[in-house]
Amino acid sequence: MFRTIQIAGALAMLTCVTGFGQEKAQALETGTFHGKVHNTSGRATIYKEADGRLLLRLTNFKTSNGPDVHVVLIAAKDADDDANFLKSSTEKLELGALKGNEGDQNYDIPAGTDLKKFQTVSIYCERFNANFGAAPLQKF
Amino acid sequence: MTIHASTWLVRRKWILAAVGLPVLVALWWAFRPEKLWINEKVNEAVPFDTTGGPQPILTGRFEGKSQQTSGRATIYQKSGREEYLRLSDFTTSNGGDVHVLLARSGDQSLAQDASKGDLDSVDLGSLKGIQGDQDYDLPRATDLNKYDAVVVYSEQSHAVFGVAKLEPF
Repeated sequence: MFRTIQIAGALAMLTCVTGFGQEKAQALETGTFHGKVHNTSGRATIYKEADGRLLLRLTNFKTSNGPDVHVVLIAAKDADDDANFLKSSTEKLELGALKGNEGDQNYDIPAGTDLKKFQTVSIYCERFNANFGAAPLQKF
Repeated sequence: MTIHASTWLVRRKWILAAVGLPVLVALWWAFRPEKLWINEKVNEAVPFDTTGGPQPILTGRFEGKSQQTSGRATIYQKSGREEYLRLSDFTTSNGGDVHVLLARSGDQSLAQDASKGDLDSVDLGSLKGIQGDQDYDLPRATDLNKYDAVVVYSEQSHAVFGVAKLEPF
């Protein structure tokens, strides 16, 4: 009997200790979308998860539906409506095809991404090289 | 003569179809016009644990008005639905009797550097420090739909030091 209590106590202490060491996901940067031509609005937030991975989350998000629309990070402070990053040779980092033109959604950011360099989230139409909307990020 | 003309027409129809169809398909693929009225909704959950601990509900960056003011203002909601304001990376200038207020972002008084003292606001207390992170409790049942801006304000000179317009987090 005493032995079971001892084991239970040890287990409880162990979960307590490991639980204590676990850090929570933390918002690093955030910004709101602007884009009048394609009616883009909502918030973009970059989180650092407990295991160190970076994640982009869009909330209250809305844009116009279109062909081959992607979520990208760009090496710029901001972007105008319909900006062509190919023409302006703005460096961009692909995060994936836009999952939906409305609603909350998550995108993984590749490990080792320099967030000091990539300061803006863009909803980018790859087919016509047009920026649908941009969210300049600032420290949360 | 007539037989010859009609066979040519039939042949031309073929050519039209052979050229026209791929062109139509290419145009549809390029522009995807049906997307103009089709919405794709998604609703992904937060991929990490958010239980326990206060959650940010509104946030905004300070803009300096009569004094250089910068940093972030965020309203957090605790589990008991109590709310508090947190200023982070915050910097402003020293002044006489400086308070932190909640006000309406559309208030005309905020457009000027000095407000003539008629600002419609909720006082959250004296500014604790001109630099650094700091928290302020919100009175219960503060209407954050109405009071949607954080204002650093000198009660002495009625000067608006800085304003942070709050937006949903």
